[in-house]
Amino acid sequence: MYCITGNPPQHDQVEELWDLKYIGVDGFYATIKYVSESEFSEENLKKNLSDISWVETNAREHIKVISRIMENSTVIPFKFGTIYNSEEGLRKFIRDYSSSLSKNLKSIEGKEEWSVKIYCNYKTLIENTEELSEDVVAIEKQIGESSPGKAYILQRKKDEVIKGEIEKLYKFYSQQFFDELKSLSESYLINNLLPKELTEKIDDMILNVTFFVSKNKVRDFISTTELQMNKNKIYGVTVEATGPWPPFSFISINEK
Amino acid sequence: MQENIYDRNKNITILEVLDRVLNKGVVLTGDIVISVADIDLIYVGVRLLLSSVETMEKLKTAKKTGIIKF
Repeated sequence: MYCITGNPPQHDQVEELWDLKYIGVDGFYATIKYVSESEFSEENLKKNLSDISWVETNAREHIKVISRIMENSTVIPFKFGTIYNSEEGLRKFIRDYSSSLSKNLKSIEGKEEWSVKIYCNYKTLIENTEELSEDVVAIEKQIGESSPGKAYILQRKKDEVIKGEIEKLYKFYSQQFFDELKSLSESYLINNLLPKELTEKIDDMILNVTFFVSKNKVRDFISTTELQMNKNKIYGVTVEATGPWPPFSFISINEK
Repeated sequence: MQENIYDRNKNITILEVLDRVLNKGVVLTGDIVISVADIDLIYVGVRLLLSSVETMEKLKTAKKTGIIKF
């Protein structure tokens, strides 16, 4: 199961290539594909999910199909691995949840999901922040006047204070970005900051938000992102904005 | 129409894709064989697997060329 739309998806060669099928029920259209038990039975799917190249190929295909359909329609995307035993089961679901599906289609119409991840380079930030705070300056003065032993302890204290100051600056920059972008979006979802082991970057992630942006504001949204990034580049701030994604983060089907 | 970013940016990380297709999107119960659940941990798994895939690739190349590059 890929997604549900409010109008029949347009057939084209690419969709034929993927062997997609459409099922229409009461004005809704589900985009589906028949899959084999050898790959997608509960047991085999679990096995395949531990095979990273299988996961990558299939996850990318899943999102590609939905993105393709999104070019011409408003889509409600489904999680990868949502599989029905029968077409009848799917039809029943659509009938049971039709009012929620309508509500969702209405609320996501004309909007795009954009992911914004902001990173900051600790070193660059320290180097380009002239006076971190009066506390640091005071400790530095003390260090200059102290014995080596005391100076060592004070140096450690200074490092701690700087760390705290950096945290504050991270908050300041991420808040600045967030406020600007929030004012251009309809809604947002704040995600967890990802550790470096996952991002595989030297910089720290300081903001991870998914925004829901009206199509007519997307241009503004992107240029604001770029403007903010250029303004704060000197402090080691970089931005990764990706989209438009299918509205995975802004749907909620939970009622009959 | 706005150009779709996936088409011009092939560097969208698998992490970003998986975060959406596995962690978000409609989840249902009912007449469903399986809807991937409890998948948050895939992050960890993905990294481990990615590194082991890389290592395997390197070893495969090494077998062919006799050189291991890390």
